[in-house]
Amino acid sequence: MTTNPIRVAVIFGPGRTIKPVWFDWHNRKYAILETTYTWIDMKGSVKRLHFAVRDKGCLYELTFDTAEQTWELSGLEGG
Amino acid sequence: MHVDQNAFFASVEQAANPELRGKPIAVVGGHGRTVITTSSYEARAKGVKTGMAIWEGKRTCPELIIVVGDNKKYTHTSTGINEIFRDYTPEVEAFSIDESWLDVTHSLSIFGSAENIAYQIKARIKHLFGITCSIGIAPNKLLAKLASDMQKPDGLTVIDPDNVSRILEQMPIKDLCGIGRKMQRHLNMMSIYTCGELGRCDEARLTRKFGIIGKRLKDMGRGIDSSPVVQFADEGDVKSVGHSRTLERDIDDPEEIRRFLLQLSEMVGSRARRYNVSGRTIHLYVRYADFFSSWGKQSTLKSYINLSDEIYLAALGILDTVELEQPVRLLGISLRNLKHQAEQLPLFEEDRKKLFATQAMDIINDRFGTMSVTFGSLLPGKENAGSRVIPPSWRPDGIKSLDVM
Repeated sequence: MTTNPIRVAVIFGPGRTIKPVWFDWHNRKYAILETTYTWIDMKGSVKRLHFAVRDKGCLYELTFDTAEQTWELSGLEGG
Repeated sequence: MHVDQNAFFASVEQAANPELRGKPIAVVGGHGRTVITTSSYEARAKGVKTGMAIWEGKRTCPELIIVVGDNKKYTHTSTGINEIFRDYTPEVEAFSIDESWLDVTHSLSIFGSAENIAYQIKARIKHLFGITCSIGIAPNKLLAKLASDMQKPDGLTVIDPDNVSRILEQMPIKDLCGIGRKMQRHLNMMSIYTCGELGRCDEARLTRKFGIIGKRLKDMGRGIDSSPVVQFADEGDVKSVGHSRTLERDIDDPEEIRRFLLQLSEMVGSRARRYNVSGRTIHLYVRYADFFSSWGKQSTLKSYINLSDEIYLAALGILDTVELEQPVRLLGISLRNLKHQAEQLPLFEEDRKKLFATQAMDIINDRFGTMSVTFGSLLPGKENAGSRVIPPSWRPDGIKSLDVM
C-alpha cells in the first residue's frame, strides 16, 4: 500500500515508551486495542519508529518519522 | 552459553500479528520468490521444511499461511536481543542473526549461576519481543550449541562437565556444529556414526584422511573445544565486503544482468567507502536457475579500488569471460584483498570530478537513505535497492551490519 500521512494520539510514558492510542484515517477514528510489536529502522540518517497495532478487526503498521515528526499509516492487514 | 531464537523470523511475525499465533506459517523472502525461508513450529509439525517451494509447503500443509518477511523487523529484534545479553556479560559473540554465544564465566559472582542468567534472558526476550529461545549451558561453545539444540522450542539444557562423555556416547555426529553433510558422509565411510566413536577414533587415522583438522575432529567427538567467545570488536579486520541478491525471477537478458551487477557494485562500493576500505580483488558469484549449479571467479587488479563504476567494470570483465549456461538466479559481488585507505586526491581533473561526484552521492545517500541518488541506468528498474537476504555474516553493528530491505 502507499503510505498515508495520518493524525495519531500517543501517550509518552516513562522510560521513553511511546504508546499509540488512536489514529484518524479517511475521516474515521480507530481506537488501538494493542501494540503488538515495535521496531526501529534508519532511512539514511533518520530514525523511524514502527508500531504494529490492532483494533477490533485489523492489524496496522504506523510509522513515526523522528526528523519530520510525522506519522504515516504504512501497512494494513485483515478487515 | 548458547542462545538460539526459535524459528526466529516466523516467531517475530507471529508476535507482531496475533492472527498468526498458533497457526502454521511460512516466511518467504519476497513476493516473486517461492522458497520458504523459515516456518513456525506449527508448520514444522506438519512437515513443512526450510527450503521447500511454496507449492510443496502448501501440499504438505494446505492451511499453511505465507508471510512475506520483513528483514528490518528481524535485524532490529536481533540487535535488541544482543543488547540484553550485554547486560550480563561483555563477552557476546553473534554467530548469526538468531544465534549468539555468551561467556558468563566472570558474571557468575554477580548473578549467582548460569541458569539464573538464562532464565532472566528468556524472560526479558519474551517480555520485550514476545518470542522464545532455547539456551544451552555447557563448559565450552561446542557443547553449549549442542545443548541448545537438544530442547526446542523454549528449552534450557545444561550439560554438566561430568556428563559430557555419557551424553556424547550415542549422539549422532551430524548434531555437532561444524560437521556438515559432506563430512558426515566421509566419517560414515570410516564406520564413525556417533560422537563416542569419533572421540575414540585413532587421531593418526583421522589426520591421514582429513589433514590438520583430524585432531580437531577427535576433540569434537570428546566434547573438547578451546575456542573463545569472540566479541565483534575483537574479530579483527574484515576480509571482504560483499553483497548478493537472489533475483525476483530468473533472468537471461545480458542487459538486465549488467543492471543488477551495477546495482550490486554500488551497494558494495558505498559500504566500502563508508568504512574507508578499498580492495584489489573482485569476486563474482553466479548461481543458475536450477539452484544447484553455480560458479565464482575472481580477478585481481593492479590498484586498490572502491568506486562503484570501477567495481562494476571489473565484475563485468569477469562476466565477459564466461558463457552463461542457464538463466541466472543469484548474483553476488565481493571486494577482497582489502586495505584501510586514507583519502587520496587523484592527480587528473576527470578523476577528481568523479571522486567529488561519488562523495556527494554518498553524503546524500547517508542522509536520505540508500540509493536516494544513484546511476541513471538503475532508475527505471523493477527491483528495489538494498539486500533482501540477511547473510550469515550479519552482525548487530559495524561494517557487517548491512542495510537490509
